[in-house]
Amino acid sequence: MEHGSFTDESKSTFSMADEDHTLANSIRYTLNQDPRVTFCGYSIPHPSDNRVNIRVQTTGDPAREVLKDACQNLMAVCQHVRNTLDKAVLDHKLTKPVGDINIK
Amino acid sequence: MSGEDKNLHSMSESDSEQEDVGKEGIEWIMNLPDVPMKLPPHVELQRTRVECKADAPIHTDTIQYSGAYASLGIDNSLRLDSFRKNFKIEVIDLKEDDMEFDMIGIDPSLANAFRRILIAEVPTMAIEKVLVANNTSIVQDEVLAHRLGLIPIRVDPRLFEYSDKDTPNEKNTIVFRLHVRCERGKPRLTATSEALTWLPNGSEFPLVSDKSVSNSKPKTYTSFSCSQDTLPEFANNPIGPKDGDIILARLSSGQEIELEAHAVKGMGKTHAKWSPVATAWYRMLPEVVLLEEIEDELAEELKNKCPVNVFDIEDIANGKKRATVARPRACTLCRECIRGEAWEKRVSLRRVKDHFIFKIESTGALPPEVLFTEAVKILEDKCERLIAELS
Amino acid sequence: MDPQPEPVSYICGDCGMENTLKQGDVIQCRECGYRILYKKRTRRIVQYEAR
Repeated sequence: MEHGSFTDESKSTFSMADEDHTLANSIRYTLNQDPRVTFCGYSIPHPSDNRVNIRVQTTGDPAREVLKDACQNLMAVCQHVRNTLDKAVLDHKLTKPVGDINIK
Repeated sequence: MSGEDKNLHSMSESDSEQEDVGKEGIEWIMNLPDVPMKLPPHVELQRTRVECKADAPIHTDTIQYSGAYASLGIDNSLRLDSFRKNFKIEVIDLKEDDMEFDMIGIDPSLANAFRRILIAEVPTMAIEKVLVANNTSIVQDEVLAHRLGLIPIRVDPRLFEYSDKDTPNEKNTIVFRLHVRCERGKPRLTATSEALTWLPNGSEFPLVSDKSVSNSKPKTYTSFSCSQDTLPEFANNPIGPKDGDIILARLSSGQEIELEAHAVKGMGKTHAKWSPVATAWYRMLPEVVLLEEIEDELAEELKNKCPVNVFDIEDIANGKKRATVARPRACTLCRECIRGEAWEKRVSLRRVKDHFIFKIESTGALPPEVLFTEAVKILEDKCERLIAELS
Repeated sequence: MDPQPEPVSYICGDCGMENTLKQGDVIQCRECGYRILYKKRTRRIVQYEAR
């Protein structure tokens, strides 16, 4: 849900239900790293409600697009993390096979 | 001097060009030939290390803003390829239920997101409904039910679905039976989780309904259309609790417990019994730096101060001894080595901001590396949901 | 219409023996004479949430 103005697309607040610090802080990090963003932050209006407001202000690009790009970046980062972990676990298992044998 | 001039020159270049270029800003900056990538050393120290002083840590925030060092002409924005190049994972220890690994090159917000998801949002199976037919033990019904809920069940939760409003069927419920009895005259019996037997065909307790039962098979509390042990995953390894030695109740002579327990899929967010990890935590890599040469008695004193033996003595020429940092990773930040005015100037305790030592202790449903992979997948799913909502 | 279709069994507070009593019986354990008898647990299936 986006709260913004129709004339100025570069600034708006996105209100998300069923979210908390887990996603909001990660999105805030990737948003901050985007050079098109002048301001970004998130707030939780009330801790009992499961709702997060993310504010994005950009240098001209529509805030919705910038947020979408940030999500894509975050997904790419996650995929890379997963691949790296799989490789590292495989490497570890190959170099230390004795420790992993389930002796039961 | 010349370095500063270079900085100013590239800054003016980037200033003038940035107004023209809109979306291509990122790639354009990337292709700039002489963008200096090195910060002055003290600024780099502030950016990458948390200084743990005697009273409180400083420089604890990560500098996330892409334009933080714009006045120096350095681009702080996320570059996926540089992230890929610098990101590393090293597995230190991998056992059946525990894992310790290092994540290098990632931001604390992501590390924390993974930790939060591991604890609260990776689903597992746990007992939710307990149907008590008989309980003459001294453990109350509800206490026994609570204890049953906390037992970790060794089954892959990805093979099951959530059961919100559906009737319990073989795709969303696991049924266990517990029937223990201490015979008269026998010594006290301890009912352990070993006694929980899996019922692959579903519930055996009949549902008492008002209308008379006309068909031959009475309705039970679950409606399994096929037996669960026909599924290939469960054909040769029956479902059961992870540990058989969890004490549920103790029975004296003549006491009996007969109940059925139904396990469903859920998340740690709803109730802690569904958390797949005993716990999962991370800490930043400690870095201990000796700011000056510490010799002879001072070195001995320093070595004896540290309770985890971070420091070591090495001999140098002329019979003198010098203190070195041997095991910085073991540092628990007790700050014994910087107690006192003089010591603060000699030893600096730091933490590396983007190097996390993760420990995951699984309760047994899934192995820890699979758990972490699932947590990362769940974060990706959240992003996808957000993108779908935005489009 | 039976007031009680089957005689109910109660448990003695002292010796733990099961005594079946009908309506109008003296309330006393048959074995030890203790006069406090407890009712047995219901046979119905009770459902609990494991929380």
